[in-house]
Amino acid sequence: MAQDALVVSSAGAVTLEWHALRPSDGNFRVRTLGLCSSIALGMALGLPHRKIIALDGDGSLLMNLCSLPTIARMKPKNLIHIVFDNEVYEASGSKKTATGAGADLVGLARAAGIGNAHWANSLEEFEKVIRSAVSENELCFIGAKTSTDRVDVPPYPIDEVENKYRFIRHVEKTEGIEILKSNLPASYN
Amino acid sequence: MNPLAAAQTIVGGLKSAGINLVATLPDINLETLLHEVESDRDIVHVPLCREEEGIGICAGAYLVGKKCAAIMQNGGFFNSNNAIVSTLLQYQIPLLLLIYYAGDIGDRTFSTTGSLTEPVLQALGIRAYIMRDPDDAQELIRRAQILTEDSKRPVALLLTKEALGRRAQLKSL
Repeated sequence: MAQDALVVSSAGAVTLEWHALRPSDGNFRVRTLGLCSSIALGMALGLPHRKIIALDGDGSLLMNLCSLPTIARMKPKNLIHIVFDNEVYEASGSKKTATGAGADLVGLARAAGIGNAHWANSLEEFEKVIRSAVSENELCFIGAKTSTDRVDVPPYPIDEVENKYRFIRHVEKTEGIEILKSNLPASYN
Repeated sequence: MNPLAAAQTIVGGLKSAGINLVATLPDINLETLLHEVESDRDIVHVPLCREEEGIGICAGAYLVGKKCAAIMQNGGFFNSNNAIVSTLLQYQIPLLLLIYYAGDIGDRTFSTTGSLTEPVLQALGIRAYIMRDPDDAQELIRRAQILTEDSKRPVALLLTKEALGRRAQLKSL
């Protein structure tokens, strides 16, 4: 199930690192800081039988905290919301975020109504919660504290519009549906 | 037309245009319309906390095959601008925006919001049409949906109080 998950990744290094790990047309890169969780929610509501994974960051989620109560309200069973929390705006000069001053994103998720929200405190724990989240059919929020070390990964190879078309074509192909219909009538009128 | 008949006409127009997911945030003038959206079984209704998240939700749903609309007040349109620019416009994603036109001629509140609504839409290159008569709703929504799909940009319909059945219509407007 994890192999064919659609993955939405936040603006920032997480997108490049994820692309290096799993290059796929089923990856969607978000450019608006904060919107990762909302775009993932829209996908989860639109394709309720498909696993949707959001790879979010602390700076991003802090900008769109209201997505948490909205996700809790809609309760999509197919959404896994992962937040990599390095406590800084790493892509923007590494200034400290509010999580670096004590804000607890898992606590916020729980308070917003997402009961199945957990911190993964080690790599082993992360693997465990991810495995269970992927196999279960339940909305899940996972927080993971990460270091600010950069790994050497290539730049994102395609622009936003190509990302959109490739992603939609990937969904069409894997779901057997038609999303982009030709708008031209048989005879122009 | 009273508010209920206007709301039913607008929701009928959305459904005829193929819309099946609607993200909303209330304004008192949208009350009846949102109630009709919420109680429609064919529409996935997403009540928002802030309008900008609705732009993301609609974009995500579009990418997997949904036809979406967002209903909000013009203040909410201002709240949504970064997402409209760096998601909808940047990725060329269509979206039908139904915006209550607060600060329209005769409104007691929000005249500043009203005066800046059309200029901001214009600055963003978003084509906008004012709906004053609920009788026009079905046809205007159908046309706006064609335009947003063809242009792959958001298109806005500005709904006045008349369009929502909440004020007498004036022929000269």
